Amino acid sequence: MSATENTPLAKINSVFTGFGLMHDSMVYWAVVAGLALLGGMIGDSYVHHILILVFIWCIVIASWDLILGYAGIFNYAQLVFFTFGAYGSAMLSIYAGLSPLLAIAAAAGIGAVIGLIVAMPSLRLKGEYVALFTFAVHLALPPLIQQGKAIGMGGNTGLLGIPWLNLFGYQVSSIDKLTWYWVALAFGAVCVYLIYFIVLRGRMGLAFIAMRDADTFAQAIGVNEYKYKMLAFVVSAVFTAVAGGLYAHYTSVVTPKVLGTEFFLMAMVMLAIGGMGRFPGAVLGVFIVVIGNELLRSFDDFRLLLLGVAVVLTVIFLPNGVAGLFAKRK
Amino acid sequence: MTQILEILISGITQGAVYCVVAVGLSLVYGASRILNFAHGSLYSLGGFLAWYLVVGGPGIPLWLAFLLILPVLALTGVVIERAVIRPLRGSDNWKINTIMVTLGLAFIIENGLQLVFGPGTRTIPPFVEGSLSISGITITWYKLSIFVISLALVGALELFLSSTRYGQAVRAVSQDMQGANQVGINVNQVFSTTFALSVVLTGVAGILLAPVFLVSPLGGWAPFLKAFVIVVLGGLGSTKGAFVAAFILAVLEAFVIFYIGPSWAMPAWLLMLIIVLMVRPKGLFGVWEN
Repeated sequence: MSATENTPLAKINSVFTGFGLMHDSMVYWAVVAGLALLGGMIGDSYVHHILILVFIWCIVIASWDLILGYAGIFNYAQLVFFTFGAYGSAMLSIYAGLSPLLAIAAAAGIGAVIGLIVAMPSLRLKGEYVALFTFAVHLALPPLIQQGKAIGMGGNTGLLGIPWLNLFGYQVSSIDKLTWYWVALAFGAVCVYLIYFIVLRGRMGLAFIAMRDADTFAQAIGVNEYKYKMLAFVVSAVFTAVAGGLYAHYTSVVTPKVLGTEFFLMAMVMLAIGGMGRFPGAVLGVFIVVIGNELLRSFDDFRLLLLGVAVVLTVIFLPNGVAGLFAKRK
Repeated sequence: MTQILEILISGITQGAVYCVVAVGLSLVYGASRILNFAHGSLYSLGGFLAWYLVVGGPGIPLWLAFLLILPVLALTGVVIERAVIRPLRGSDNWKINTIMVTLGLAFIIENGLQLVFGPGTRTIPPFVEGSLSISGITITWYKLSIFVISLALVGALELFLSSTRYGQAVRAVSQDMQGANQVGINVNQVFSTTFALSVVLTGVAGILLAPVFLVSPLGGWAPFLKAFVIVVLGGLGSTKGAFVAAFILAVLEAFVIFYIGPSWAMPAWLLMLIIVLMVRPKGLFGVWEN
């Protein structure tokens, strides 16, 4: 791969196994199959629960990586998409009686609309202005949910008793951890595959990386900046909203806490520790952080402080995250 | 009529303090192109330090607390710049890394405050009591004095930037970092100084507003966001712009709070931000950068 070494395509293709798309896909699905088998072998439902959260987080972080790491848009409204997905799916299944799977599909649609709405002002901005605007959206949402009590958003207590997932007539309760493990794994695996192997290795991924690395040049060769940045927002929001819907039906409770410090910090640490724009870094970050966070449970009061410290230290000392370590060793 | 005048006055006094937070934010951004996401948490830090010295701890008078806190805030600024920001300078993804780091820092300060002082809100008694009454309109002496102090702070900063040699160095770095470096300006020192000044400004604002707004560990995000909207409307790096914008926006906020309700204040700021960005992205007085 000497001639193409510096092209964006080579960059995307070489980050994982280095042997091209087919090889990468095979390794990927082998790992997924391994995880599926592992689920059956684990007897502890608490471990199942932790891994279910890992799989749901993987979707969120992969979508965030798509827009932040690959497209280079400083979007910090990721949990806004998640919240809309969770609330949308919950409300559609509670009030409109939609079957949860359909509600999650509808949540994807809601995600697309919210993605568009957040994208429109953001596209007029550059760099850190995008970061601030999107983060401002995140900060302004909890009071709005408070107001949304009037339209059945439950205010501070959130929404309770969200219907369980219904798979072909089979009710998957929150207690049935093993089935949920496989459901979450299936959703997570498909979404992550679509993001990293279909979207990012296709035309869209090329355009994203071209815009990120050489803004002016990308426009000069005809990359429609507006269209692709819009797409980055919409695609990222759609996947994240699906994760939100899944989360709502799994925990059967959604509260404004999903916009709280803990979730936001967790997401940031995952991306920082995993490394942005370098598959499978971000996904590994999810595993490391969710499991690490559980191990830190005994520190309780200090946990959030430690997460903050982890962000600062990794950015300073490990700027490319875990993925950067692999790259160096090669 | 008196009601509207009272709302106006309340907005104007508030605006002066917002302006202090905003010029601090703008100063660092101007010199080093860093949007410091921890700016609001440092505002809370100022408030909490003052609460501890005046109410919770030794119980010293507020003016003495000010004298003790100012160097602490300045030092905090220098340490943040040295330890956290400087190592990143010149790295690959400098911009996103500084955003991540300052956000992380914000959460560290926030949770640190929460651990030390607990999650509740705190207040400091105002240093002057009573109020002034002119033909039916009342305004507390306290609000009047924080208005004057804020104006003095912003004025002093403007004077420092425009007519001292060091202030000129700061402006030179803002305009062209490399050029400034070549003519012998110690760029690193300018970065440290602006950071120190910025933290002092936001911390002082946190102390001044503590009797009005209360301080809480998570309470820094609101002033930070407001400061940012002010900076955007005023035009980046323009003290004059921030000054005018602070009053416009604070008065609007006061009307929203009075007529619609306090919980709509933050969404209203966001809406104002969107409108500003749509209508006049370069701000009232600034030159749009990037």
